[in-house]
Amino acid sequence: MSRSLLVPFLVLAASFTAHSQGPGGRGGTPPTPRAAAPFDMTGYWVSVVNEDWRWRMFPNKGDYAGIPLNPEGRKVADAWDPAKDDAAGEQCKGYGAPGIMRVPSRFHITWQDDQTLKIETDAGRQVRMFHFGSTPASSADLQGVSKAEWEFARPGVGFAIAGDRGGGPVGSLKVTTTNVRPGYLRRNGVPYSGNAKLTEYYDLVREANGVTYLVLTSTLEDPTYLTQPWITAAHFKKQADATGWNPTPCSVR
Amino acid sequence: MRTITFGIALVFLSVCSAMFFAQAPPPSPGTGTPLGPMVSGTDLSGSYRWINHQDAPLFTAAGDIADWGGIPLNDAARLYALSWPASRQTVKQQQCMGYVAPYTWMSPGNHRLWEERDPFTQRLVAIRYWGQIAQVDRTIYMDGRPHPPAYAPHTFAGFSTGKFEGNVLTVTTTHIKRGWLRANGAPQSDAATVTEHLIRHGDTITILAVVDDPVYLSEPMSKTSLLARQAIAPDAWLYACDDSEQILGRKNDYVPSHFFGQNPYYQEYSDKNKVPLLGAFGGRETMYPEFLAAVKDRAGSDNAAKAKMRPSGPPQASRAPDPTPTDGNIHVFHVGGNVYMLTGDGANIAVQVGPQGGLLVDTGAGRLSDKVLAEIGKLSSRPIQFIVNTSFHADHVGGNKKLQAAGADPSLTGSFFSNQFADAGQGATVIGHQNVQTRMQEQKPPLDAPPSDTYFEDRRRKYHNEEPVEIFPMPNATTDGDSIVHFRRSDVIVAGDIFTTTQYPFIDVKNGGSVQGEIRALNFILDRTVYQHDEDGGTWIIPGHGRVTNEWEVAEYRDMLVIIRDRVQAMIKNGATLDQVKSARLTADYDPRFGATTGPWTTDMFVEAVYTSLKNPPQTASAQ
Repeated sequence: MSRSLLVPFLVLAASFTAHSQGPGGRGGTPPTPRAAAPFDMTGYWVSVVNEDWRWRMFPNKGDYAGIPLNPEGRKVADAWDPAKDDAAGEQCKGYGAPGIMRVPSRFHITWQDDQTLKIETDAGRQVRMFHFGSTPASSADLQGVSKAEWEFARPGVGFAIAGDRGGGPVGSLKVTTTNVRPGYLRRNGVPYSGNAKLTEYYDLVREANGVTYLVLTSTLEDPTYLTQPWITAAHFKKQADATGWNPTPCSVR
Repeated sequence: MRTITFGIALVFLSVCSAMFFAQAPPPSPGTGTPLGPMVSGTDLSGSYRWINHQDAPLFTAAGDIADWGGIPLNDAARLYALSWPASRQTVKQQQCMGYVAPYTWMSPGNHRLWEERDPFTQRLVAIRYWGQIAQVDRTIYMDGRPHPPAYAPHTFAGFSTGKFEGNVLTVTTTHIKRGWLRANGAPQSDAATVTEHLIRHGDTITILAVVDDPVYLSEPMSKTSLLARQAIAPDAWLYACDDSEQILGRKNDYVPSHFFGQNPYYQEYSDKNKVPLLGAFGGRETMYPEFLAAVKDRAGSDNAAKAKMRPSGPPQASRAPDPTPTDGNIHVFHVGGNVYMLTGDGANIAVQVGPQGGLLVDTGAGRLSDKVLAEIGKLSSRPIQFIVNTSFHADHVGGNKKLQAAGADPSLTGSFFSNQFADAGQGATVIGHQNVQTRMQEQKPPLDAPPSDTYFEDRRRKYHNEEPVEIFPMPNATTDGDSIVHFRRSDVIVAGDIFTTTQYPFIDVKNGGSVQGEIRALNFILDRTVYQHDEDGGTWIIPGHGRVTNEWEVAEYRDMLVIIRDRVQAMIKNGATLDQVKSARLTADYDPRFGATTGPWTTDMFVEAVYTSLKNPPQTASAQ
C-alpha cells in the first residue's frame, strides 16, 4: 500500500468501526436492549384508523381487496363461516400477530424485562412478546414467536463526519415473527397459514404540536395463501394514560 | 517518514472519531454558515410506485361518493363533499386540477425522488419529487430557508422544507392550493399545513402524513401511504392534460352541484359495503376504536348521519388566516414581469414600473401612503404617471390624494390640455369608471382625488412601459363602477374586489352591485387567463384583498358563488323570505373559509346581497 493511501484507509476503517457499534458500543459491557433503545415505545397507544378503514372497522366476508391472495386463499376466504368459528371457540383467529396490529384497538407497551418488550391489546386481550436475543422454544400459537432487534440508523455508508442528526441514537425496531398458528389477516376469514413470516418495522415520529405517532410498516410473506408479500402500514397515537383502555374478548363479528 | 505518516493518521483519526461521537449540535436553519447546514440522512433517491395493498379501491385516491370513514371531516367539509357531484369535473377549470400532498402519494403512476446538492460543497440543498400523475413537481428545501410570506401564491405542490430527524425525513408544506383529501368530494383547504414523515426500510418508503386543516378538519388527519422502489426506472413520467369542452352549449355560469340533503347517491357506498352511514360520512369519531360501539344502534346512528346532511348549529366564521400583513409596514411582492403587489394598507395595490413611470392600480386605505411611496421609490425612480381605481370604496382610493400628488403625468405637459388646465401634468392622472368619480363625489364629505379620466362601457387601453395594458369595466359586479386591469406582457390581472381570497365578495347592492354581475366578471377574468400546467402558474391574479393567485382560485370562487346563487334562487322560487334564506345557512360549506359573524361584511350581509340582487337585479346585470 502506498503511503498516500494509508491515512484515508485508516480513517475509513475507523469510521466503519464506529458505525457498526451502535450506541454504547465503545467497549465494556454492551447495554441491554432496553437501555440501548433509540426511542421509548412504552405507554398507551391508540389505533388511528384511516388507511383500510372499511376492512378494519367493518370487514365483510369475501372482501379481500388489496390482499394478494392466491386462488387457494380466496377459496378459504369465501368459505369462511363465522358461526363455525364461534362454535369451535375460535373467536380469536382474527387477532393473531399478522392481523392484530390492524384491529382497531388500544395498545399498552411495556418492558417485561431488559430483553423483552410486551404489547398488550384491549381488543381481544392479546399479548405479544418481542424477544431481543434468544427466543423461547414454543409450539405455534396466535402470536407466534417474535424476534426483535434495534436497527440503528447510520449517517451513511463509507466515510462520514458528524452531520445534522442531533444527539442520541436513532433507529427502528425490527421484529420478525414466525411459528404462528393459522388465522385471519382481517376479521372476515381472509387466511394466513402457519408458514407465514411477518416482518415489522416500528418507527417513532413526533409532531411539532407534541403528538407522537408510532408508525408500523409490515410485510407478510405466506407462500400458502399469498402470491406476493403483503405490505401495509398502520399508525398509532400516543396516549397520556390508560383512559379508554377497555379490554374486550375476541369477537368473530 | 513512516512514523510521521502514522502520526498524522492517528491525529486525523482521533479528530474524526471525536466529531462522530460528540454529535455536535446541528447549525440552526439559515444561520451559522452561509453554506447552509450540513445535512445527512437516509438516501431516498429512486423510482417508486404506490403500493396498493392498503386502500386498494382508492385508486387515484378517489373512492365512492360518501366513502369518508376515518377522515376527521367537520360538518362544513361533509356538506361540501355531499354537494359535490362527479360531474363537477366537466367544469373547464376542474378538469386538470393538480394533486396535493398527501393525496399525491396514492396516485397510480410513477414517483421519483432525487437529491440536489451544491456542486461545490456537495451539501444537500433539496430533495426533489416528481409524480407522474398531474406531473407533480415538488422541491423539499433542506437548506434551512424560510417559508414565503402568507401573501405569496399557493401551488398544488406547495412550499416544502425538510429535515432529517434520525432516520426519518420530516417535511413541512405550506402554501398549498385547495385540493382533495379524497377525490370524491372530501376537500383539503388552502389553509392546510401538511407534515410528512418519510421512512425508508429497504425498498419500501412509508409515509405518515398529517394534514392540519383548520377549515375542513375537526382534528389533524393522519394517514400512511407506501411506495415500493423499482429496480428498473420506468419511462412513463408525463401526464397530458388539457381542458376541453365537455358539454356543448352549456352556459359558463353553470356549476353542477347537489342542494343540501339532496345527493341521490349518499347511501350507495354504505349500502354496498354494509358500512354504517354514520361511519361512511367520516368525522373525528370514526378514526378511533370507540366508534364501533357508537354504531351498535344502527337505526339511531343512521338517523344521526342523515341529520348531518343539512346545516345545523351556529354560523361559522372563517378559520383561514388573513394573509394581509398588519405590522404597519408595506410589503412588496414581485408578481410577474414589471408588476408588483404592495400589501398592508387596506386593499392591495399593484404597481407597474418601467421607463415611462409607475402605473398604479388602486391606492389602498391611505393610512400608510408615505410608506407606499417609499416602497415604490425603491422600485423606480420615475414618478407615478397613472393611477387606476378599480372601485370607489375607501380602502381602494384612500391613498389617491397623496399618491396622485406625488406623481406627474408628463404626457399632458405642453399638450393642448396645458391651455385649459393650469395644473395639467401636475400629479398623476387618475383613471376610473365614471361611476367611481360620481360615487366618490357623492360621499359626505366627498373623497379626495377622484378619477379625472373616466370611461363608461368600453375598455380603456394604454401601451405603457412597453406593455399593453387593458382596463375593462365590469358592470354591476361588486358596484356599478368596478374595473379590472390586465397587464398583458407581464400577464397579471388586477381584479379589485371582484375577487378576494379573504371573504365573500363585498356585493354593494346599494351602489349597483349584484351577484349576477359578480359571476359575470369572474367569468370574464377566467376567459383571459391561461394556466401553465394543471391549474398552476400562468396568468397571475392580484385580488382586492388577500394573496396572489392563479386562475384556479378564481374558478373556485366563481364555482362557490354560482352554487350559492343557485341555492338562494331555488328558495326564492319556492317563495322563501330573506329570513328563511338566512336561517337555511346556504353558505355553511364555505363559511369556515370565507364567512364572518362580526365585522363590516358578515355572511348574513352577503346572503342578503345575493337575495336582494336576485329578486331585483340591476338592469344591466344579466348572466351571459
